[in-house]
Amino acid sequence: MPKLIIDDREIEVPEGTRVIEAAEHLGIMIPRFCYHPALGAAGACRVCAVKVIEGPVKGIQMSCMMEARDGMVVSTTDEEAMEFRRFVIELLMLNHPHDCPVCDEGGHCLLQDETVSGGHAHRRTSMKKRTYRDQDLGPFIRHEMNRCIHCYRCSRFYQDFAGGLDYGPLRLGDRTYFGRFTEGRLESPFAGNLIDVCPTGTLTDKPSRYSIRRWHGERGPSLCISCSLGCSTVANAYLRDLVRIEANYNESVNGFFICDRGRFGFYYAKHPERPRRARVDVSEAPTPEALREAAKRLARIAATHGPGAVACIGSTRSSLETMGALVRLCETSGWRKPVFFSDPAMQRKVRTAVSRIDKRLHVSLREIEKADFILAVGADPLNEAPMLALAMRQASRNEAAVAVIDSRPVVLPLDFERLAVARHDVEACLNVIMREAVSDEDLKIAIEKLPGGADGAASRAADFYTGIRNAGEGLPPEVRVRALKIAAQLKAAHRPIIVCGVDAVCETTPALAADHASILSGLKERAGIFYILPGANAFGAALLSSPIGEGASSFFEEIEKGEVKALVVVECDPLGQFPDRRRIEKALGNLELLVVLDYLPSETVKQAHIFVPTNTHYESGGCFVNQEGRAQFTPPVYAGGEPNRQETGGAHPPRVFRSHIPGGGPEPAWKLLAPLGAAPRGEAPELRGNLRSILDGLHPAFEQLADSPIPPVGERPSTYYARFLAEGALHVGSLAPQDCGALAFASSDAGEKAPGVGKDDERLEIILTEWTFGSEELSSYSPYILQAEAEKEPCACMQTEDASRLGISDGDLVALRSAGGGGLTVRIRVVENMARGCIILPRHGRLAWQDLEPSPVQASVERVKK
Amino acid sequence: MVSCAILKWRVDSPAPSVDAVLSDKSAQMTPKELEESLKEDIEKAYDPREQAVDVLYALQRQHGHLSDEAMREASRLLGMTPLELDELATFYDFLYREPVGKYVIHVCDSVVCWMHGHQSVMDYIAERLGVGLGGTTPDGMFTLLPTCCLGYCDRAPAMLINGRVYGELTGEKIDRILQELREEEPPLALDR
Repeated sequence: MPKLIIDDREIEVPEGTRVIEAAEHLGIMIPRFCYHPALGAAGACRVCAVKVIEGPVKGIQMSCMMEARDGMVVSTTDEEAMEFRRFVIELLMLNHPHDCPVCDEGGHCLLQDETVSGGHAHRRTSMKKRTYRDQDLGPFIRHEMNRCIHCYRCSRFYQDFAGGLDYGPLRLGDRTYFGRFTEGRLESPFAGNLIDVCPTGTLTDKPSRYSIRRWHGERGPSLCISCSLGCSTVANAYLRDLVRIEANYNESVNGFFICDRGRFGFYYAKHPERPRRARVDVSEAPTPEALREAAKRLARIAATHGPGAVACIGSTRSSLETMGALVRLCETSGWRKPVFFSDPAMQRKVRTAVSRIDKRLHVSLREIEKADFILAVGADPLNEAPMLALAMRQASRNEAAVAVIDSRPVVLPLDFERLAVARHDVEACLNVIMREAVSDEDLKIAIEKLPGGADGAASRAADFYTGIRNAGEGLPPEVRVRALKIAAQLKAAHRPIIVCGVDAVCETTPALAADHASILSGLKERAGIFYILPGANAFGAALLSSPIGEGASSFFEEIEKGEVKALVVVECDPLGQFPDRRRIEKALGNLELLVVLDYLPSETVKQAHIFVPTNTHYESGGCFVNQEGRAQFTPPVYAGGEPNRQETGGAHPPRVFRSHIPGGGPEPAWKLLAPLGAAPRGEAPELRGNLRSILDGLHPAFEQLADSPIPPVGERPSTYYARFLAEGALHVGSLAPQDCGALAFASSDAGEKAPGVGKDDERLEIILTEWTFGSEELSSYSPYILQAEAEKEPCACMQTEDASRLGISDGDLVALRSAGGGGLTVRIRVVENMARGCIILPRHGRLAWQDLEPSPVQASVERVKK
Repeated sequence: MVSCAILKWRVDSPAPSVDAVLSDKSAQMTPKELEESLKEDIEKAYDPREQAVDVLYALQRQHGHLSDEAMREASRLLGMTPLELDELATFYDFLYREPVGKYVIHVCDSVVCWMHGHQSVMDYIAERLGVGLGGTTPDGMFTLLPTCCLGYCDRAPAMLINGRVYGELTGEKIDRILQELREEEPPLALDR
């Protein structure tokens, strides 16, 4: 490890460290524009000049382009270096418009900082400045090219890091222009990171334009709950208005970046129609009164029909505190155990996935970047968990081989091998690849290393591998050829990772993927399994849900049978988010009592007999467990309430003293749940809001959790938590056990059978799926996300051969009818690269997909006459 | 492989921009023979990318300059996004994204020519033609542009007109050249 001296201080750094990074270790911030830890250096801006006194090349050098060497002596304060930097910054500022007072970057602008630190205070030239015409880059990003200093950070992020090809550098010299071929929305779903990456005000956050100075707002570390990855964010609130989300650095999860769904999807928290007052039947009521009324009616129903007549539905977007409180509520009141998933199959799949992650197979999102082989099984990363696609791209840039087995027309920002096979053939493909990549000798070695070998897993594994010898027989020849190619890549890999979705796969697939990953982990330097789960806290929900396979759909059946008379729905929208809407509508209509607690202006909230408003995680904080079992506590960022902008129409806040927060009625859901229970006053367990008191005894995994850091009394949360800002969300523990000890290796024919779709059949399997924008519940309330996806009509995808067989061409309007009588009309997009025999239908907010029965569902297809 | 790259962000639906571009039938403005020969060249290349500049030159020769439509056509032929091609087209001096005159005068704009009166050559031509830098004469004959070093330093100051180099320029020589070009039959084609 080279040891060098910077500004008279010695430091030892790992081989390959750049001088600019070594200086950072000493707390010396050398000015920089083009250098970014994630993007590397370009040597383009010349502002990081230092003087090398001892070293291979003496004199003025760029510290970002120079590796630290043993015995190097570097000065950042040398007069020559300082003068050089002063001239460079003066040069960079020649054409800058000096419009800081009206620039949104003002106050957190690297260009401002470096201008000051570079010592450039007086403009010496009176020449005319170069100007540009700006482009409209869509609803997310504002373009102000005059402010640009040509550091190339944006194009290096957009093209190299994120794989976008519609934004980049044009022209040359001092007229270089960063933009698009024509105006229009940036196509990459990671474009929002340009706002963070740009060191000037050239690319700024458009929705929050002119609404906040960074130091004015309440600013704190937060968490994105728009998918299961749990990326770290920084939330900015101002005058009770959540204004802007930025990416927060998190070493193990998202690195420096987040996706646009996470960045612009938070508007539900300040939705103008967000319900802020409790309601009993048709009239508004104070929250305590509504809770008393709900408790009274629930007790009456439990008394007349038995406690089993009360059921509770939660969701995967609630915090662990809320979920735990709901489980406790049901336990103490003797009601049915709550459910958190829409249907039993989904619950079983997530529970399997959760039970299979242990320390051996556990991989974090950032470790994906270091893999040299990634096999995605039934996963569509860009749509289901966008940041995963970005991580996979980094692996691919480091020469990793990537392959995808999925029925959907998966698109990734990288080159990959695709096996487009039907849902029920996914496992066969996986088996073929594994059988080919693992020789018999290797298998023996791997089996010996399996954990829990005593309970017969070894023999099951051996039997299983014998059983799948001919797994590829039913597959089309071209798929087999490709599978063999993938197997060869896997054979050569040292750090393979299997990525597995749970949404569009058969029930046995998650377990199978983990089984194969365990075998690989015995053979390779490192192997892992990475699941994509449905919802930010699906992991926690799986731990808290009952082992009996139940889902919300089971409750609707019970309601139809008259077994369940009252339903408590906590932060969940069955009418908007579950399939089979007609049946749910009918079921809800049959209820004697529907109590809803939520913060969204959802359909279900409108149907509620008693409604109680709850807080978002920005207001109450909470613990969320991401898909790899990482429990992350997100502190409250602001106190909530109706944004001043909505109360006053954007005017100055009223000059009156108020003892309450306007629109500040909602409270954290976990706090509201206990009063609903049947336990007599005083005997209800006291929940103090810290994790341990709520989760104690609910699942052994929770014993590994540290307690959530609650700020000392009297300290403002945002100030208290600001000190954790650099660490990202607060990691309170990992729920992945040391050794899960489980190995399924179910026999190879236990998987779901292909639905009886014949060659000439007009019936196709409908696979409901996610889209990056437009299908996720929370972000669908964001006007900017809606604006971004408005230009694209949501459509269903169909394979070319199916389409020609059924006489359907690209762009046709088609009526889908399922056997249960549900159906919808949707535009069809005919694509080549997906499985035959199915239709891919997004759960898009503008499609009536809820009219179909729960998936898998088969449907007949008929072209709508024009 | 590359054509999949172009569809990268069309994650989920009939997307607007690139898609519209790709299927735009009206963009068929290049003669069939030229298109076929370009396709052949692209086919031969290890990666279509290496043919990008040649295709742009071919289309420029055909259409006089690279209009947005021509750029889209190149994008369609090469399977690269219009932006990627525009990065090239706006970088290189001899690719024109705006209409130019029949003759494009590139006055050398590099050190040795600077020392030998580059500025007065530029000013002289500008005055003679009555256009500024980047301008085209109203009769559509001449466009005046600078270019980086022509490698004609031993005969500085120099200029390049439609691929033909002229050195040791003086006022009289420039007048003569312009006159000859006006009368040249058939006119010197736009080379490169």
